[in-house]
Amino acid sequence: MKQGRLDDIISDVRSFPSMSGTALKILKLIDDPESTASKIEELLRYDPGITANILKLTNSAYFGLSARIGSIRQAIMLLGWKRLGKLVVTSCINAILDKPVPGYDLPSGELWRHSIAVSVAAELLAKELDITADDEIFTAALLHDMGKLVLGNYVKEDFQAIETAAGEGIPFQAAERRVLGTDHAEVGARLLESWSFPKSLVESVRWHHEPDGVEKPRTIIDLVHVANMLCLMIGIGVGREGLRYEPSPAATRRLGLKTKQLELVASQTLQWANELSDLSETSSR
Amino acid sequence: MNGDVVVTHALGSCLGLMVHDPVARIGGLLHAMLPLSKINPQKAEANPYMFVDTGVVKLFKEIYRLGGKKSRLVVKAAGCGRPMGNNEMFKIGERNYTVLKKLLWKNNILLDAEDVGGTVSRTVHFHISDGKTVIKSGQQECEL
Repeated sequence: MKQGRLDDIISDVRSFPSMSGTALKILKLIDDPESTASKIEELLRYDPGITANILKLTNSAYFGLSARIGSIRQAIMLLGWKRLGKLVVTSCINAILDKPVPGYDLPSGELWRHSIAVSVAAELLAKELDITADDEIFTAALLHDMGKLVLGNYVKEDFQAIETAAGEGIPFQAAERRVLGTDHAEVGARLLESWSFPKSLVESVRWHHEPDGVEKPRTIIDLVHVANMLCLMIGIGVGREGLRYEPSPAATRRLGLKTKQLELVASQTLQWANELSDLSETSSR
Repeated sequence: MNGDVVVTHALGSCLGLMVHDPVARIGGLLHAMLPLSKINPQKAEANPYMFVDTGVVKLFKEIYRLGGKKSRLVVKAAGCGRPMGNNEMFKIGERNYTVLKKLLWKNNILLDAEDVGGTVSRTVHFHISDGKTVIKSGQQECEL
């Protein structure tokens, strides 16, 4: 490992542009039991881009609301606070995740498509396994690869060394650690910590490749782990490193997942992912 | 159409099947995600190409409909990759390949070339005029 490399990476995490101020304020409001719908409306009034995005997502077939939603107030009433939070993050993170990612060689828009697909797949898995839908699953899945945006340039620079390490039969994120001193999961977790995101989201991002590494295994991490592997396998957001990651047998055991459930979710994911990723793309550009 | 190149990106564990008739100069490329359509019959009805069992049959039918002859067909396969480790559940690529081989065997068709398995994700460029098939994975490129 090159000296000082880890310091450079951590410094890049600190200077990484944050999510829009509106989004962070809204997320705080959603967490605050004292907040009201009108406070959220007031904030969104000054951000028509986010508002348009939220309404488009709310009206998508994926969320399956029968009524057409025309205002943020209506969206809050029909979706509830927590689900609105999920849509706020989705609407705001698009501009960040939409960029091309060097190192992993993901063209513009592909990390965004992958992130949305993993969110959809994780929720579909939860539904298939009769796990109570927790809105945090979608958000954790959406953010799981944030670290690639910071680490990409370092991976690009040292790709040969990482390849050589991975050639010894270790998963790609372990090869990143060996050469760079950290990996994209850890970098993503630190990024979210610096944005004051809830601990459970941070942990889901940190352990998404190694769900057995966390002190106490959690369903949300297992779901993101499996959904991520599945989306890479079906070719959504698979980069230069290919499929050199290792699905954890313990995670699938903990979830009680069966092969046919995994394949069923695969068959459902692509359509929803395309629909949702297109919706946000058009409104943010 | 002659001169056209059909491209499919990031095969992962999906199957890419290229079928070409050099005399009729027609060809087709299938990108199938899952082995068996029974997992989601509704999807298979809407998009038979999502599954190897329904997609391969439909591709061959289309080729014959356009004037392709079985005796002349050149058939190549790519993809069917897998992640690391030995988790059976995630061997969708191997199951895709097995279903393909069974179907071809039943119909007396042999694969002329293949680039399958491993942990790489492949992109296929398939030239309809002459059947030339170029596989890209990472920085590597080869003709199949």
